[in-house]
Parts: sequence; structure tokens; C-alpha cells
Amino acid sequence: MWTRSVAHPLPLFGERVLRRPEATYRYFEPGRAKLAAAVVRGHLEPIPLAGERWLYLGAAGGTTASYVADLVGPEGAVYAIEKSPRPFVRLLSVAERCPNLLPILTDARRPQESLGLVPPVDGLYADVAQPDQVDIVLAQAAEFLKSGGSLLLALKTASMGRDRTPEEHARRARELLRPTFGTAPPLSLDPFHRRHYLIAGRAREGAFANEPEERQGAIPRPSSGRAPGRRRFHRGLAERYAARDPR
Amino acid sequence: MILIRGRGDSETEIPLGRDPEAAAEATEHLAETLSTLSRREGGLGRGESPLEVCEPSLLAAPASGGAPRLLTPVERRAFREASWPPLSAFDREFYLALARRRVAEALSSPVEVLVSLSREEERVERGLLRERGATEQFLTGDLPSLEAFRARWSVLRQTLTEHHDRLVEELEARARAVAPNLSTVVGPRVAARLVARAGGLGALARMSSSRLQLLGSRRRPGPGRSPRFGVLYRAEGMESVPPDRQGAYARSLAALAVIAARMDLAPRPGAVSSLMRRRSRRVTSLNAGRR
Repeated sequence: MWTRSVAHPLPLFGERVLRRPEATYRYFEPGRAKLAAAVVRGHLEPIPLAGERWLYLGAAGGTTASYVADLVGPEGAVYAIEKSPRPFVRLLSVAERCPNLLPILTDARRPQESLGLVPPVDGLYADVAQPDQVDIVLAQAAEFLKSGGSLLLALKTASMGRDRTPEEHARRARELLRPTFGTAPPLSLDPFHRRHYLIAGRAREGAFANEPEERQGAIPRPSSGRAPGRRRFHRGLAERYAARDPR
Repeated sequence: MILIRGRGDSETEIPLGRDPEAAAEATEHLAETLSTLSRREGGLGRGESPLEVCEPSLLAAPASGGAPRLLTPVERRAFREASWPPLSAFDREFYLALARRRVAEALSSPVEVLVSLSREEERVERGLLRERGATEQFLTGDLPSLEAFRARWSVLRQTLTEHHDRLVEELEARARAVAPNLSTVVGPRVAARLVARAGGLGALARMSSSRLQLLGSRRRPGPGRSPRFGVLYRAEGMESVPPDRQGAYARSLAALAVIAARMDLAPRPGAVSSLMRRRSRRVTSLNAGRR
């Protein structure tokens, strides 16, 4: 599988490149990009189409984001959000060579931080590997996703907690997103990415039409699921040491 | 042009010209202005966190002279869908300039500088070790054609070693500055590597000691494998402990290191001496226990 490249100069991160007179193509490897693995496993729609605007949550090093940028073509745009500065440096170097990839360094948990930077998008791709992924996706979609917009959620079940099996995590995520997006059954990305699933859907009309209440602050970080005593012990570090040291 | 109307009649105009750097700077300045505004005047509306980047009519002009209020999310969506201009070349430059500013700001804190430095030092050290092994295999023969290669390579190796030494100097100084207690307990180089692997001093302090002991190990402990070979194995005291007791020493050292990391979050001078006393007692007991 190859994508027609909009980036220049190539290669971006050592991928295979095919140069033809009409265009240059980049190898869309299923082992590196979860979207490619999903397509190989039979996922057909929704998928980034030419001319669309997509919001990419958790862009990390920019490998998969660059392929989404290829798919939406020079008329489209990909708004890539990444929270951590070190992978963002690599994303920035990819974005400098890719004219329709726009990197944004913010926390995906706080969509209000990127209010002026992200337009209404035709599709949302999320690959954030956080236990409260579903909440993050719902908040960002409520803010930025158009009605009828596509949703692609790459679920890394290993990051969602050890209390459930991967299939249970995937099914639960699908059920949580089903009322808003009409999500299809989770698609396993074995053997390319083990214990990963793709959840695809389309935002229903009017799904975000009634949210009169402003979301109060950021999405709260989830607790680790351990016994509350230990968590509170770790949480209270600063207070405990400050209390012991009156300065 | 972005116009902000605060409470009362104060207006702030921030013109965005054609220069993307200036636009990025103006955006960040705008975010700061908005957050001070929201903190000072009791908030611009509902919602706890201040807006970081503002769209022009996010503050709806009041219909009947009341106080301005934030748009609700539904109104925001409607406004945004109605009037978002297509992407232009200037926009792309603006996004890149904004991203560069934010990254530079994020990586400029002392902990982040320490992490970058420790990663660089690890890379150079790994390169030197790998190179040393390779050339030793390669240069066993005495062919005359290898003499020139050997001369050039020794120059390169010397440059790399000097670079590495300078890196180590700066790394140790910064580790002592950022995490003084941790670098006293395990040594500054190991302290820097622990902070780098953990992803920050706060994350390191939140860990359990068993997890800290495993930071930097490439294999997970399991039924047949004991928890060894993390970064902690390169700590300073390891040589003075007999090899078969090094696992026990790593265990106690990990416990002391976690306490030291927590002390570094909320420092108190002279507190680390108790940890050092416990460490030396453990070393003597480990050395005395084996005969």
C-alpha cells in the first residue's frame, strides 16, 4: 500500500519511497501506522479523504500523522496535537517538510487551549493511549468535530488498565461511544499491533447540539485504580513534606 | 485583528501583521493577557480554566448592555463552522512559529535541560563503547593500510571522548543543582539517568522503589529472572559490595533513592545525611555478612 506524498523532501523518517514521473509515493506500512494495519485488516470507511480537515490527537513522532496528511492531500489539512515536548520536536521536523501538517503543542485533555487554532474538522483520529481516552475524544469531538464527521479511535488496551481483558476494553469503549457516533464493532489490529483495536464511527446529526453547560476545567486525570490509601499517599507528597518543613 | 472587550469599556487591540514570528509572539502574549484578565476581574464567565487562544467573537457583545459573557459551546461551534477561512501559507508559518516557541519554552526548564543532557551523554557513551569494541576487533592485524585509518580514527575518538567528558561535567553539575539529594545518594550521573527515564522529578518521586530499581532495564523480571540490571546497577556504591549481594544492595538503594527524590521535590537542607548513614550501614552489613 502506497500513499501519494505531499511532503518534500523525502523520505521523512526512513520509509520506502517510490518515485514515478507523475508523483512520488511513500510506503504505507501496517507495522508502523495503525491506520495502515486497519486497512489491511479490512477497514474501509470512514477514512481520511482528499480535501478534508482532520484533527489528530496524540501525534507523537508524526509517522501516522504524515500518512493522514498524504491521504487528505494538498487541499486538506491535518491538525496534529501532541502534549509531550520530545516527540513533538520530531513532529515539528516532519511538519516542516509537510505543507498540510500543522503541529500544536497542547494537552488533548483541554480542548479549550486550542480554541483559536483548530477549525471545525471533518474527521477525528485519536491515538492517545490514556485510560480516559473516551472522555478526551468526546470532549474534543464536542468542540471541533462537524456533524456527520468521522471518528477513528486507535485503542491501545494495554494503557487502559489491567482490570479488564483487551476485548472487554474495546467493547466497553465502543459502547460508550455508540450513542454519539454509531460505532462499528472494534477491529483488532493483530498481528501488526497486538492488543490494539480500531473503533470507527460517524458523528450523528445533532449529537453535539445540546451542551449548554461549559465544561468546568480540564478533564480530571484518572486515578490509577490501586487502593485509595496508596494513591492518596503518593498524591499528598508535596503537602506532607511542606507540612513537615515550615518555610 | 483580534479585539478583546473586557468588563467595563477597556479594549485591547493586538494587530497580527504578516510576520509569523510576531503573530506567534502576539498569540502567546494574548494568552497571558487573557489569563491575567480572567484572574483579576473574577473571570470572564463560567468555566475554570482561562482561554489560551481567543477567537474574535468568543466574547459576545451584550444585546442589552449587560456584562459580556462567554459563548456557549453550541454557539462556538456555530460561529466556527460559519466563518473559518481556508488555510493559507501565512497560517502554516504561524503554526510552525507558534510550535517552535512552545517547544523552546517547554524544554527550557532545568529538569528538561537535565533530561536532554543525560540522553545526549548516554548516546555518546554508547557510541564510544560500541566503537571501542568494534575497532578492537578490526585492528588486530598489522597491515600497513590500517595505519592511516588508525591515526584518523584515534583523532576522532579523542574528540568524542573530550566531548563526552565535557558533557559529563555539565551533567553532574546540573544533576547536583536539580536533584541534590538524589545525586548524593546514587551519584549524579545515575540520578540524571533516573530522572530522564522516569520523565521528570515528579514522576520519579511518585514511583515505588521496585519500579525505580527496574528503570532502564531492557528485560522484565519474571518467573525465571530476578529484577536486576536497571540504571541503578551503575550507582557509585556497587563496586564496594560483593557481586552476589549486589541485588540486595540495589533493593535498599532503590528505597533510599525514592526517598531522596521525594526530598528533592520539597527540599530541606541536611536531611540527606540520615539517608547516607543508612546507606553506609547497609554497605558494611552486606560486606560483613559474606565470608
